[in-house]
Amino acid sequence: MALSSQLKTDALMEQMKLHLATDAGKELTKKIGLVYQINIGPKKIGVDEETYVVDLKKGEVTKGAYQGKPDCTFSFKDDDFVSVAMGKMNPQIAFLRGAMKIKGSLSAAQKFTPDIFPKPSKM
Amino acid sequence: MAMRDLVTGGAACSVPGSSSSSNPLGSFANSLVGSASKTQGTYRELPVVGPSPHDGTSDFRPVDPLTNLPGSELDSQTNAQSSEFLQRVRAPSHGAFDGVWNDMHRPPPLHPSLAQGTQNQPSFDEFDQIFNQGIASNHQPTLDGPPQRVLASFLHSFVNSGRSGIPFQPASLPVLGLSEGDKHRIRNRSTILSRHIFANSSEDFITAQVNALLHSLEIDSNLQMKGPLRGRYPELEDYWNETQGALQPAAPHAVDRWVSEYNHHGPHENADSWAESFQQQHGANGWASEFEQEQSQLASMGELRGVNNANLAMEQSRMLAETLSRNNDPKFKNSKFLQFVSKMSRGELIVDDNQVKPTGVANDWADQFSRENSSFGGNAWADEFANEQVHQGPADEQWVNEFSKLHLQDWGDEFEQQANEGILGRGEADDWADNFLDEVWSVKRGSDSSKSVYVFSDLNPYVGHPDPLKEGQELFRKGLLSEAVLALEAEVLKNPENAEGWRLLGITHAENDDDQQAIASMMRAHEVDPTNLEVLLALGVSHTNELEQAAALKYLYGWLQHHPKYGTIAPPMQPENSLYHPDVIRMFNEAAQMSPEDADVHIVLGVLYNLSREYDKAISSFETALKLRSQDYSLWNKLGATQANSVQSADAILAYQQALDLKPNYVRAWANMGISYANQGMHEESIRYYVRALGMNPKADNAWQYLKISLSCASRSDMFEACDSRNLDLLQKEFPL
Repeated sequence: MALSSQLKTDALMEQMKLHLATDAGKELTKKIGLVYQINIGPKKIGVDEETYVVDLKKGEVTKGAYQGKPDCTFSFKDDDFVSVAMGKMNPQIAFLRGAMKIKGSLSAAQKFTPDIFPKPSKM
Repeated sequence: MAMRDLVTGGAACSVPGSSSSSNPLGSFANSLVGSASKTQGTYRELPVVGPSPHDGTSDFRPVDPLTNLPGSELDSQTNAQSSEFLQRVRAPSHGAFDGVWNDMHRPPPLHPSLAQGTQNQPSFDEFDQIFNQGIASNHQPTLDGPPQRVLASFLHSFVNSGRSGIPFQPASLPVLGLSEGDKHRIRNRSTILSRHIFANSSEDFITAQVNALLHSLEIDSNLQMKGPLRGRYPELEDYWNETQGALQPAAPHAVDRWVSEYNHHGPHENADSWAESFQQQHGANGWASEFEQEQSQLASMGELRGVNNANLAMEQSRMLAETLSRNNDPKFKNSKFLQFVSKMSRGELIVDDNQVKPTGVANDWADQFSRENSSFGGNAWADEFANEQVHQGPADEQWVNEFSKLHLQDWGDEFEQQANEGILGRGEADDWADNFLDEVWSVKRGSDSSKSVYVFSDLNPYVGHPDPLKEGQELFRKGLLSEAVLALEAEVLKNPENAEGWRLLGITHAENDDDQQAIASMMRAHEVDPTNLEVLLALGVSHTNELEQAAALKYLYGWLQHHPKYGTIAPPMQPENSLYHPDVIRMFNEAAQMSPEDADVHIVLGVLYNLSREYDKAISSFETALKLRSQDYSLWNKLGATQANSVQSADAILAYQQALDLKPNYVRAWANMGISYANQGMHEESIRYYVRALGMNPKADNAWQYLKISLSCASRSDMFEACDSRNLDLLQKEFPL
């Protein structure tokens, strides 16, 4: 299997996909029930973006734009997304520093917290 | 009571450790107005700053016990309000009215506080005098003799009607000869006053009362309520220009006077009752709308020159916000005003041209803010309040709506909430700055990770040790990883070319759950000895952990190339970016076939499969390796991490347990345990493991971050502060394992 993407985000999303199948993941869809679209630019927001959809209604992660209207769309740089998802950077601070762009419902954006992503374990 | 605490600086809202804790609001106003006038003398007269040297002004403070006398509350409250009102009347120069108002209060049994008030007459006179210098032309004090007394008792009955709650009866009065300006002021001020004394009554009742009063005084209550601000309030504008224009010589003094007056009243019953009645009347949000109103008023009042003492203003507004957020009244906590001020204090909002804008140059908004707040100090404030309804045009409403829809609001709310929950223990601005610095630092570290700058500890007791490498190896064997780091740092400082020193340092950091430092040390080892297989493998693993796939692949390929046995399989190093993962996997599989008993090959294969997220294959590779080398704790951990990442958390915990049995101080495995529990939604357990890991290595940043997330998931926000301040003792006590 080839490495489909050099993005760090891709690794996290892959893990998220597995995570959503677990009990904890199902709890998450029950709790949040929103659809997030996340655009990741490898080096810069808006440049060569790859798009992921974290569907916490159905409990799945897909690549490519959402068919329909997501509750909220975020744009990140690859590193910044990883920082936010792993709790290194507070989403509010990311937003205020311009490291995270938000489009859509703000109440949905508020529920986008680091704890929805599983943490990678280290070898 | 909340407001009382706020104003008087009661214990409930004091800021521990802050020198200004005695009266946050006072010092707030103090700094704002003080900075506006840039007059040193101000501070001597302010009670919050130090003992007042003036006897006259210290007399001004009402006697506190008075407010506590049973049955006297209403009296003191009303009197407080009316004396406040009294000041308003006096302040814009009506020397003639002073007598009226004082007379008005004399007939009932004299209150000590009022008696004191009269003693302070000189300071009022002085104030009036100063004020008159600025705006002398507008006023013609005409009331003397009998009409004054008539007016006094008339107004007195008006005030009394508030206590008894009976409608005020218009009475016929002799011709008082009030000028247009006087009428105007009486109307404004009686409107304000009535709102305070009739605070429990309906709006209609208040209006009726005021109309009755005004009718008696032959003041048209409707006609003059309309019309543009400019021209209607010449004296008000003068006042404004005076307070704001630093160029006018009389201005600073007038402001100072006012502030000292305000402060003398402020910390006592007067301000309390003001604030209380204000809250009753408008709800807590009244403050907010008042505040907003003020800004729009100001915009239309013309260009007021601001001040430069931005830092002080920001500091003070932060303190105010902090104080406000400590307030226990939930209604107040949620008030827009509080949110507004706290946003202001963080520099999130600036006010510019009648609009609130998110962020901006700190100085700018601070200037603006202090300009806005200077009006706290003036009669203008009261007048504006009185005119609130009048000037509440559609444009203003729009503005208010805009403000409430501001994007920052929600984030701001959450911040606020966090602040209330105590995350941001030291005050938000500090925390903000800290966070920012932390992040700048970590971003710097992150971006440097490819270049890998090793960050040495500041104080190292092992520097000067005769054989730090041996000491480090010994400590590492004993499992004292943080100590081993120090010894090994001493070694590599002494012998920067010692590859073994750097390698062991890197391994130690990895076991201590610090991949950034691990990579940095391994890079140094790699520079010294580019063909060291252990170093290459460690670099491959660490980069995999950091999700840096291309780099990881390069080092793992390097491992194969430099291996004496398998080097022939790997073609000479290709340009980095042409490395194709499946090719590398294929070559390693060849190597594994060559010597299936070599655990290392299986380990590298396992890491490679981790890279491509083929976790099942990775797990079987590690299991194969473990059959060959069952005492390798780091191998057990690798197996566990792989299982965890492929959501087999229950299995992972068994593997970690194996690792920990072999090496009890294996920080990485403890932290991984925490991650596995957290990913299963068992947050309480995860907290215990994170705390355990951190107890062994307080520098494990990842674990701190994860701990905070778990605390929040487990609804243990009470421990946020301990987490933020890295108070391990408290955490270990709270979450023993």
